Amino acid sequence: MITIELDSGSPGGAEAVLGAPVLAAVAVHAACAVPGVRRTEPGLVGLLSSAVRQARHRVRGLAPAPVEGVRVRVAGDRVRLAVAVSVSGPAMRVGQAVQRAVATAVAEQAGVSGVDVEVSIVDIEVE
Amino acid sequence: MAVNGTSSEYLLPCGRDVDEVWSGLGEPVDVHERDCPHCRATRGSLLVLRDVTRELADDETEPSRDLTGRIMAAVRADLRRHDLLPLPTPEPGSLEVSAQAVAAVVRFAADGVAGVRARRCRVTAGAAAGALAVELNLAVSYHGFVRHLLDDVRDRVESAVGARIGVRLERLDLVLDDLYEDG
Repeated sequence: MITIELDSGSPGGAEAVLGAPVLAAVAVHAACAVPGVRRTEPGLVGLLSSAVRQARHRVRGLAPAPVEGVRVRVAGDRVRLAVAVSVSGPAMRVGQAVQRAVATAVAEQAGVSGVDVEVSIVDIEVE
Repeated sequence: MAVNGTSSEYLLPCGRDVDEVWSGLGEPVDVHERDCPHCRATRGSLLVLRDVTRELADDETEPSRDLTGRIMAAVRADLRRHDLLPLPTPEPGSLEVSAQAVAAVVRFAADGVAGVRARRCRVTAGAAAGALAVELNLAVSYHGFVRHLLDDVRDRVESAVGARIGVRLERLDLVLDDLYEDG
């Protein structure tokens, strides 16, 4: 699991750490709220990981927040969120809106700023 | 920020990991698991989960339409991740679109011209940043074949790419492969 250590600034060296699913869930929620986005699109690995995660949460009686279609990667100090979506609106405009929405949501909700949002539009609904 | 590679997402209040309880399901309970209420409850839930999983694995009925659809969508998404074309964006990160998704837009637009059937469509990045180049093969109805038909296709495709993708079509090569008889 990738975890991201936050600069909490707490006395005594206390830390706040976020798991990758936290960022992914925030990103999925933000992306799906953008007008013109039909859904996020997981690949087979993402679908399988999601099934395992759901089973684990079910043991505790919890319904996990969706994370399918978003991959979180950390390289040095840089966080990269890869978001795959299907859209029904103008692809470029919707894609840019997804980049902005995800970056804003991750900064506001999770306190992680300066993320690179990599949007892949894998399907465009034509009807 | 720093990366921490440890995994402790499923720790029980007693300090044991759910994975540890899971891996010990086939073995007799140890002293801790016998006395610990958290481990006992988790073990019971995991046994139910294991039994249900086995039932599902042994079930020979067809998977639900929803599950089949999700799996097929995931396969398609994986395939389309291999042919991504860059789109311009001022935001940090990147923006890409599947060439196959663009091709579907192009074919749909061409099919909208009466008497035209789109065939193979190849989409590549244009020379200018954010522009696209398309080569589209067509078949046209023999009775509907008139000289300006290809101009109509060109207009519709250029308009669709501008509206649906949001970028300029730098080059559109139309290849009339064949004529067909209306049935």
